[in-house]
Amino acid sequence: MRSPFAYTPRPGPLQRASPGAAVVYLGALVAVAFLYSNPIVLSAVGIAVVLAGRLAGAWSAVRAALWMGLTLALLIVVVNALVVSRGTTVWARLGDWPIFGQVDVTAEAVAAGAVLGLRAAVVMVAFAVYSSCVDPDRVLRALRPLAGRSALTATLVSRLVPVAAADAARLRDAARLRGPGAAPVGKAPLARRLLAGSLDRAVDVAATLELRGYSLRPERPPAGETFFGPMRTEKRFTSPVQRRSRYDQRFYLTGAIVLVVAIAGKALGADSFSEYPTTEIGSGAATLAVAVIVALSGLAPLRRAPRRSAARASRAASRSLPAGGGM
Amino acid sequence: MRGPRTAVAIALLLSALAAAGCGLGPGSEVGGVDLTVTRDYGSVSMLHRQVDDVTESDTVMRVLERNADVSTRYGGGFVQSIEGLEAEESVDRSLDWFFYVNGVESTVGAADYSLRGGESIWWDYRDWGAAMRVPAVVGAWPQPLLGGYEGKPHPVDVECLGGGVACAEVDERLRDAGVKLPSRPSGGSMRVLVGPWSRVRTDPAAGQIERGPQTSGVFADFRPEGAAYRLSGLDEGGEDTVEFGPDAGLVAATRRFEDPPVWVVTGGTEAAVRAAAQLLDTASLRDHYAVAVDGKRETALPVR
Repeated sequence: MRSPFAYTPRPGPLQRASPGAAVVYLGALVAVAFLYSNPIVLSAVGIAVVLAGRLAGAWSAVRAALWMGLTLALLIVVVNALVVSRGTTVWARLGDWPIFGQVDVTAEAVAAGAVLGLRAAVVMVAFAVYSSCVDPDRVLRALRPLAGRSALTATLVSRLVPVAAADAARLRDAARLRGPGAAPVGKAPLARRLLAGSLDRAVDVAATLELRGYSLRPERPPAGETFFGPMRTEKRFTSPVQRRSRYDQRFYLTGAIVLVVAIAGKALGADSFSEYPTTEIGSGAATLAVAVIVALSGLAPLRRAPRRSAARASRAASRSLPAGGGM
Repeated sequence: MRGPRTAVAIALLLSALAAAGCGLGPGSEVGGVDLTVTRDYGSVSMLHRQVDDVTESDTVMRVLERNADVSTRYGGGFVQSIEGLEAEESVDRSLDWFFYVNGVESTVGAADYSLRGGESIWWDYRDWGAAMRVPAVVGAWPQPLLGGYEGKPHPVDVECLGGGVACAEVDERLRDAGVKLPSRPSGGSMRVLVGPWSRVRTDPAAGQIERGPQTSGVFADFRPEGAAYRLSGLDEGGEDTVEFGPDAGLVAATRRFEDPPVWVVTGGTEAAVRAAAQLLDTASLRDHYAVAVDGKRETALPVR
């Protein structure tokens, strides 16, 4: 079964944008989530990443991340409520516990846990959108000039993990095909066999790399060639190197605006929030302005409908062409 | 028959939780506490309040946070500032907030100190360069002699070490304050030592005073002068500042390790002890770490 977080090629702007632009855009939202504790701004970041995921067609990834994130958030709330007894509004007294001591559940500890949980959920959704919308091969290709060996390792890992998953599925099928009378196969023997197979394959891969001279000190590739060989080799095994997308500017600009607004807002006191002794959430003009701008940034992956006049002109042009076409 | 069994199990669980002190909400009210905030060894008063709405779940920190503007550090267990007055540490000075419950320095943090009602809480902002630990003070009179310390009542013994009529005076003042004095000494009791310093100093707890404020937390010293002793007052730095007259008396409190606090009502002479005994009232002791009296002049210690 395909993971909802796996990259799925789609024609949306976020998928077409270069990895750098997508990383700047989603990274800016994650940075705001870490920079701010004000729940209004954190919620705005949440709205932005959910909106971005929805517009980019990654709704299943967003839904799965929201489910996981909210479960984690709930866990954080419960743990924080039990571990932290600060705050003046006591909701429940749970007596003396062996490790925690006197446990008082306070409204402030619950609120503080909710903020931590919200942050975790928002970051998880942002990473889910990234994972689902940004082609990992393009990211690795972009990293290749910076850290060739690391990029190669990451590429191999990203290829070998699905291979190992397929191996596991085959092993399970083989175990089932032995018939109903056969002894059941436990998880541990299956995992051992899988590990042995993976190590065998790793040795094969290492030998292949050795034979192809990857252990030698790499020379600087001449112009027109990639780090690992001539361009034709690159073309043979991977999709052609993509040029900059026309959507890049949009995502770079949106990421930059979000970051600048967040930093300026922070300096102006937009992150006004106090957990203890009483929960105080700042909702001043600066906070609301930052929240609105951050939430609107979620519209960046919106695909613009073709202009009506342009479409009409194009249709008219096609109609005016002779049936045979050409000159 | 699953329904009734489940109901019984839930009822038993709830009963056990209730018996273990669990419950919803902050719990019932346990009575009032007296909250005092001062600075510089009690010399400047910042807040005096009788807090009446203390509940079962209240701690020293919660009461403070409800009644003053407080900021904390180290996960909320340590007070950084009260009413904007921040703790600071530099080469010359180390200023921090310290708290006393019933005049006894707590061994647990303010956030972990549960209140039972009737306590006297005193927060003081002071330079602790000369004495990091001041284990007991007299400024919560008649606490801890009346209500005990660390959440438990403790008996009080008055030990008359040659105090003469001053012992009777101390007895009377304690009884007037509501302190019940047992007819015979009991173990684990707080002691009030009454007598001239030449006798009182033989007690291991009281004798700490001669080793300076770093050990005893008392900013006073007795110098031998012939057969008697003369009292001198120390400043915040632990330096000699005032040499009192031969008939100067002292009321101070100290504590040795985890033993019960010990109060001393003493002086160089019998007259000095009598003068010290007359200091045992709220007007003279309130918000002071220790008090010296020379004639009619009362001096809060450390000397400022």
